Amino acid sequence: MTDSIRIDDVVKERALEPLPAAEEEQPVADPELAAVLRQLARSHESYGALVWRKFKRSKVAIVGGLIVVGLFIMAIFADFFSPYDPVRLNMGDAFTPPTRIHFIDSAGRFHFQPFVYKSVRKLNPDMSSTWVEDTSVRYPIVFFKRGWEYKLFGIFPTDIHLFGAAGDAKIFLLGTDRFGRDIFGRSCMAGRISLTMALFGTLISVLVGAIVGVFSGYYGGAIDNWTQRFVEFVQSFPQLPLWMALAAVIPITWDQFAVFVTMSFIFALLSWTLLAREVRGKVLALRETDFVLAAREMGASDARIMFQHLLPNTFSHIIVVLTLTIPTIILAESFLSFLGIGIQEPLMSWGTLMRDAQTIQTLGFNPWIASSVLFIVAAVLGFNFLGDGLRDAADPYAND
Amino acid sequence: MIGYILRRILSAIPLLIGISIVSFIIIQLPPGDFATSYEMMLMNQGNMSRQEAQAAADQYRALYGLDKPLYEQYFIWIKGIVTEGKFGYSFAYKKDVGELIWERLPRTLFLALAAHFISTFFGLLIGIYAATHKYSLGDNLAAVLAFVGTSVPRFFLALVLMYAMVIEWNYPYIGRYTSPQYAFAPMSWDKFVDVLRYTWPVILIAGVGGIARNMRVMRGNLLDNLNAQYVTTARAKGLRESAVIYKHAVPNALHPIIMYQGTVLPYMIQGELEAAIVLNIPTLAPMFYSSLAIQDIYVSGGFLMIYAILLVAGNLIADIILALVDPRIRLS
Repeated sequence: MTDSIRIDDVVKERALEPLPAAEEEQPVADPELAAVLRQLARSHESYGALVWRKFKRSKVAIVGGLIVVGLFIMAIFADFFSPYDPVRLNMGDAFTPPTRIHFIDSAGRFHFQPFVYKSVRKLNPDMSSTWVEDTSVRYPIVFFKRGWEYKLFGIFPTDIHLFGAAGDAKIFLLGTDRFGRDIFGRSCMAGRISLTMALFGTLISVLVGAIVGVFSGYYGGAIDNWTQRFVEFVQSFPQLPLWMALAAVIPITWDQFAVFVTMSFIFALLSWTLLAREVRGKVLALRETDFVLAAREMGASDARIMFQHLLPNTFSHIIVVLTLTIPTIILAESFLSFLGIGIQEPLMSWGTLMRDAQTIQTLGFNPWIASSVLFIVAAVLGFNFLGDGLRDAADPYAND
Repeated sequence: MIGYILRRILSAIPLLIGISIVSFIIIQLPPGDFATSYEMMLMNQGNMSRQEAQAAADQYRALYGLDKPLYEQYFIWIKGIVTEGKFGYSFAYKKDVGELIWERLPRTLFLALAAHFISTFFGLLIGIYAATHKYSLGDNLAAVLAFVGTSVPRFFLALVLMYAMVIEWNYPYIGRYTSPQYAFAPMSWDKFVDVLRYTWPVILIAGVGGIARNMRVMRGNLLDNLNAQYVTTARAKGLRESAVIYKHAVPNALHPIIMYQGTVLPYMIQGELEAAIVLNIPTLAPMFYSSLAIQDIYVSGGFLMIYAILLVAGNLIADIILALVDPRIRLS
């Protein structure tokens, strides 16, 4: 704020004739004036535009953003992406390995359209069975195939799915679980719980963290001191063991929605402290600036100063902490669900899908049953990349 | 200096009291207690009538103080911990939780510290390499490894190693902490090697994430320092590049790393927790997990306390070391 006023004055003092347009990059003899002009050209852009411009330059951040958006689309349109009903049992297909997608057939001919072969179970002499491909007939992969019926957004009944195998062949991208359900489709579906829980838990923790941080930093003194002691207290709890203990307390008789909300709160309970500290630090510095003084002199209430003037100035921190808290919660949630504490069947999360992998025999014969881990890794990587990019972009005025 | 350490230790005490209260409340949250399941067991398997079973359960409650009001139970619990080192009675293992803790805590500590050591050593080494070879192939490779190391769930890494050991390699040393012949043997080199044979996957898994974190912090700090003027001065004096880096830049980049150790230790302990549960290595972790399932409340509560104490102690040690190397903190 103070910066832009000063720059305007300098420009008025120095430039008697109309200002040259800064975008045209005309050579300006005076280096100081040139710097001022560049600054001026930038200050015409909004904060958001500056952040976006800097964000765009980071390829990693863009990749992260695309992964995250992709995962959300897959979760929202999970029925569309899932070629088979993710909850219907189909014992005939139990433990089918991931279907191989071919371009070259058994005779060595190349086909432009990818295709699959039917998997058939072959009985070995020792009574065990293995899956082999029946290479006699090719089944091309088709898009927008009609399959099981579902309701888009819970309203529009339809039976169109993104892909499927032609005819009666089946395509299981990540194999099937012990009930013959397609793990790819189930992973898309599980993304709904895993992502929304992480998002919801993070939102709660951001809300609490921001409010506590603003109060602590704005009032200072004894309030700040006690709040910081409390933050330290919460931070000294071992996160994972405490999450485990709290999640284990949830009665199994509760309904699904209650479990979901409680779990989100449990994750938020220990996650808000990071943001509270960051926001406090920022507010502590901003409290003494002129614009806060001006607001106060104009008779603004404490609440107005805190939430209209100070909080918006910490948004960059909030966004960054948000994107970095989400992966932590995704990882913790998947571990708890994998152990069977917290989220339970029939609720699906990426962790619960991996439950069968707990027994080494099952995992040994069917290693693909842990394949929903791909979604966890993608989500965590995506959010981490995004958070890293945002961290750099959130302060677009910094020189690099 | 001693005054500073004493102050830090004293300030940890109210923290621990608070933690003990919260731990106690959490373990008391679920409806019913161990006597309730005892009563059910007597009725189902012991063929007792409801009245008989209830009487037996009440007797059980009176014996272990489960019938007293909550605050009284809490004070008994705390008194036991402070005066006798007793953490309450484990209903499932039929011994004092303190004994279970003393049996298993050294193992957890050993694994967490080993992972900590590895992650610090390799993290710093790779971090220094990455910073001095900025944007080289090695630097980029390290960055990719760092992202993978922190993004893959550790229980999945444990599953992968478990799969490899059991299915692919037929590796015989799994699911234990030591071989039976060393179980009661005093510590020796042979026993140490034997322990490592069983526990290296846990150390590896807990350590990988730490390597990634340490590396990124070290790289960032060292880069900041390498751009500082004193480094230019050192180079201008004609010092060898290795002296510039290892005598001037690296020691200055170490401070944030030490401060950071307070948060790395819990990360190690959590990594140990995840890996040891999946690989079923008998440290604190699997017992904590199973106690949650069967409501063996004093085990859950005691272990929760121990984890918290480890955390507080870790932060304390990090603070003290930081004060030792940085006079600005000690004297402020």
